[in-house]
Amino acid sequence: MEEADRILIHSLRQAGTAVPPDVQSLRAFTTELVVEAVVCCLRVINPDVGSGLSPLLPLAMSARFRLAMSLAQACMDLGYPLELGYQNFLYPSEPDLRDLLLFLAERLPTDSSEDADQPAGDSAILLRAIGNQVREQLAVPWVPPLLRTPKLQQLQGSAPQKPLQTSRLVLPELSSRGESREFQGSPLLLPPPAQVPQLAERAASLLECHTVQLCQHAHHDCPGDEDWVHRAARLPGQEDARAQRQRLHKHLAEQLHQTWAHLGPPAPACDLGEQLQAWGAGTRTGARATKGSRFTHSEKFTFQPEPKAQTAQASDVPASQRPQQDMLAAQEQELESLREQLEGVNHNIEEVEADMKTLGLSLVQVETECQQSELSTAEREQTLRLKSRAVELLPDGLANLTKLQVVVESSAQRIIHLAGQWEKHRVPLLAEYRHLRRLQDCRELESSRRLAEIQELHQSVRLAAEEARRKEEVYKQLVSELETLPKDVSRLAYTQRILEIVGNIRKQKEEITKILSDTKDLQKEINSLSGKLDRTFAVTDELVFKDAKKDDAVRKAYKYLAALHENCSQLIQTIEDTGTIMREVRDLEEQIETEMGKKTLSNLEKIQEDYRALRQENAGLLGRVREA
Amino acid sequence: MAAAEAGDTQQMLGVGLIEKDTNGEVLWVWCYPSTTAALRTLLLRKCCLTASNKLSQPFVFGQYRRTWFYITTVEVPDSSVLKKVTHFSIVVTAKDFNPEKYAAFSRMLCRVYLKHGSPVKMMESYIAVLTKGICQSEENGSFLNKDFDAQKAYLAGSIKDIVAQFGMETVILHMALMLKKRVVVYHPKIEAVQEFTRTLPALVWHRQDWTVLHSYVHLDTDELDALQKCPGYVAGFVDPEVSDRSDLYDVFVNLAESEITITPLAKEAMTMGKLHREIGQLIVQSAEDPEKSDSQVIQDISLKTREIFTNLAPFSEASGDGEKRVLNFAALKQRRFPPATENFLCQLAVAEQMLKI
Repeated sequence: MEEADRILIHSLRQAGTAVPPDVQSLRAFTTELVVEAVVCCLRVINPDVGSGLSPLLPLAMSARFRLAMSLAQACMDLGYPLELGYQNFLYPSEPDLRDLLLFLAERLPTDSSEDADQPAGDSAILLRAIGNQVREQLAVPWVPPLLRTPKLQQLQGSAPQKPLQTSRLVLPELSSRGESREFQGSPLLLPPPAQVPQLAERAASLLECHTVQLCQHAHHDCPGDEDWVHRAARLPGQEDARAQRQRLHKHLAEQLHQTWAHLGPPAPACDLGEQLQAWGAGTRTGARATKGSRFTHSEKFTFQPEPKAQTAQASDVPASQRPQQDMLAAQEQELESLREQLEGVNHNIEEVEADMKTLGLSLVQVETECQQSELSTAEREQTLRLKSRAVELLPDGLANLTKLQVVVESSAQRIIHLAGQWEKHRVPLLAEYRHLRRLQDCRELESSRRLAEIQELHQSVRLAAEEARRKEEVYKQLVSELETLPKDVSRLAYTQRILEIVGNIRKQKEEITKILSDTKDLQKEINSLSGKLDRTFAVTDELVFKDAKKDDAVRKAYKYLAALHENCSQLIQTIEDTGTIMREVRDLEEQIETEMGKKTLSNLEKIQEDYRALRQENAGLLGRVREA
Repeated sequence: MAAAEAGDTQQMLGVGLIEKDTNGEVLWVWCYPSTTAALRTLLLRKCCLTASNKLSQPFVFGQYRRTWFYITTVEVPDSSVLKKVTHFSIVVTAKDFNPEKYAAFSRMLCRVYLKHGSPVKMMESYIAVLTKGICQSEENGSFLNKDFDAQKAYLAGSIKDIVAQFGMETVILHMALMLKKRVVVYHPKIEAVQEFTRTLPALVWHRQDWTVLHSYVHLDTDELDALQKCPGYVAGFVDPEVSDRSDLYDVFVNLAESEITITPLAKEAMTMGKLHREIGQLIVQSAEDPEKSDSQVIQDISLKTREIFTNLAPFSEASGDGEKRVLNFAALKQRRFPPATENFLCQLAVAEQMLKI
């Protein structure tokens, strides 16, 4: 109970109740403290309801009564299951108070929901850390210079702590062309942070670059100052340095005034991005130097070529007039001669075209003739060969003919024989080839299947690795968060205690079930025994009674039996009664304890006192009314 | 007789065997006497076994560099002795155009091969036809070379069908053939292309030249090179992309949609005048006559063609060696025909090689 009370008190403190440090348990809660605690909790849970109630207990009894009633109403509106009245607040009893405060503490909103939404990752942690630092530093109130501690002097002092050394950064520009564009795109141009080797100079150089850009963009919008822009863009070093610096000063001061006017106290829960946005919301639209959208950039650049095109058109050389008449005549003559020439050339062209056509046709014809003659030559050669052989064989015509036929027959036979031999070689080779091809196909199927399996395995390995990496990140982030959490409440001890208690409860439950089952068994046994007893008695009774009519001794035995049964049953009855009474005694003892805890007597005295005070107040008010 | 037959049978150049086995692979397994690698690739492409579509065209023929090939494809039934083979094609190469003869011959060879499972038996039949011009088949009947006449092959196509499909536009085809232009015919089915293209050279019957026919061509560089060496041709394609290749044709015939297109370049050369209208009318009239057979229609057309030549006769003079007539340009121009007709006659003279060089 002590531990639970301490947790409760701690959460009440967090809600805003000023619980004195020596109050360690709910028993020590006074009426004032109770009212203050409840009101603070209500304020946190439901601000509009809670703000109407005052945490301080008023002195007047009726006011107290009213406050208590409204508190009771508010708590019941929140959903408290039991009945509440003014007595719960004015005359609190420990168990009821514990229930009520636990109910309210549950309803308090938790902080952990905020953290769950924030993005994971190292960069997020870094940004959050930066945001926290900035917020903290902003929250430090301004202290006059002479009263500052060295640390505050660092934060708030205006004297530069390190000499400002900057180096000129080369940034790629959208409007660059040709060689400079190539250079800017090449790996020779390092990214701006890498262009400055010393860390101290890096931030300074970036600031300088940014300021220069700001000035250029700011004065872009003021058409009157165009000269300044051109001059500044071309030769920044040769300007009147002081005039430039003054302008810059003015511009920066303007900007700061504008942004600071919009800035309020930074909300505790906003992150770096929101803070930066809050500052940036007040700037002029002209100073959007850093991140114009791509659309606006492209807009700017499409409008640029148009004016250029317009200027290019204006460069027509005006035709010069030559009003001399003899020049006209000479021109006409020239024109005539040229026309004649043209006609002649056209005529020539036509002639040449006609020639070309005829030549083309004759070319086609000649080509076909050539091809045909080639073919016919080949054919004629063949026939010539055949006929010359025939002529050779002609003298002995018939005999040669038969000889030829025989030769043809025999060569046919030989060829067929050779073909048969070739078959002997060909067929096994072909069969083997087909067999091997089939094997190869099977193997390819097999290997493609295995390849698919391997790829699947790779995939699952990759997924598992990613999963592991992600969990590592989350773990790292959670560990760092855990370190930043306040250490005043040791959750580990509580969780362990809770687990212990849960275990104990489980064991007790087991024991209870065991006892219950034992009890049930016993009851069953008792029932069965009593049943047996009754039956036995009934049988014995009958048996003996039958004989009792005849025999005297049996009659006596019967009387003894009846008496025995009677006495035993009385005994059993007495035992049962004893048990019941003992149970009642235990119950009553418990009730007495709880009632004692409620401090009813002291409350009753307090009530009587208050009642008397109330009556006095009423009497006083009545008297005043009558006087008035 | 034997000599005449020998002259005929020397037309056959070779026989080859292509098989598709249970692995799904198509192989050239046997040939006699020999083939070049180019011809082998060509024939593998032509035989429909390599194509993934299951439509088997039982008989295709075509020409490649003056060699005619005839391919018969057969599916092997399960009961045959050929265990590992699902389909096979028999290729017969020859120098002459005679689809009917070689179709019958290769059908017989297929039967032999199916029965015996060995090309040796096939070769016996082939050699028999090669040497004797006759081959006894195992079933009743035999294959006789002389049953198949070249003229019959030329006349086997149906000119009436062509005129029925194209009507007056047939005169464009007639003109293209007369002027030895390049005609490309497209239809998704090879049978339709073959039937149509084999009949076209009949329109210029006086030449009786079927070497211009390339009835089955693929869009392959080698084949197209060979094709373009011929000045004028009738080529059949089943590849729809051929319509984009306007460098290959002067006249494009889309058989599936019954459309004839003349390329812009050729339009100038093929302008038509009164003469052509006359020819067109004659062709249509003749084909519509139900009494006339195909060969009679062809006769009519060739008569009309000869008329044109007789018209040219006054302007031509005998050339030096007395055989050929040569056209006198000047005389033709004096006659002052309408420009379309004059153009046509000039080009015709070129095609018939009557121009004075």
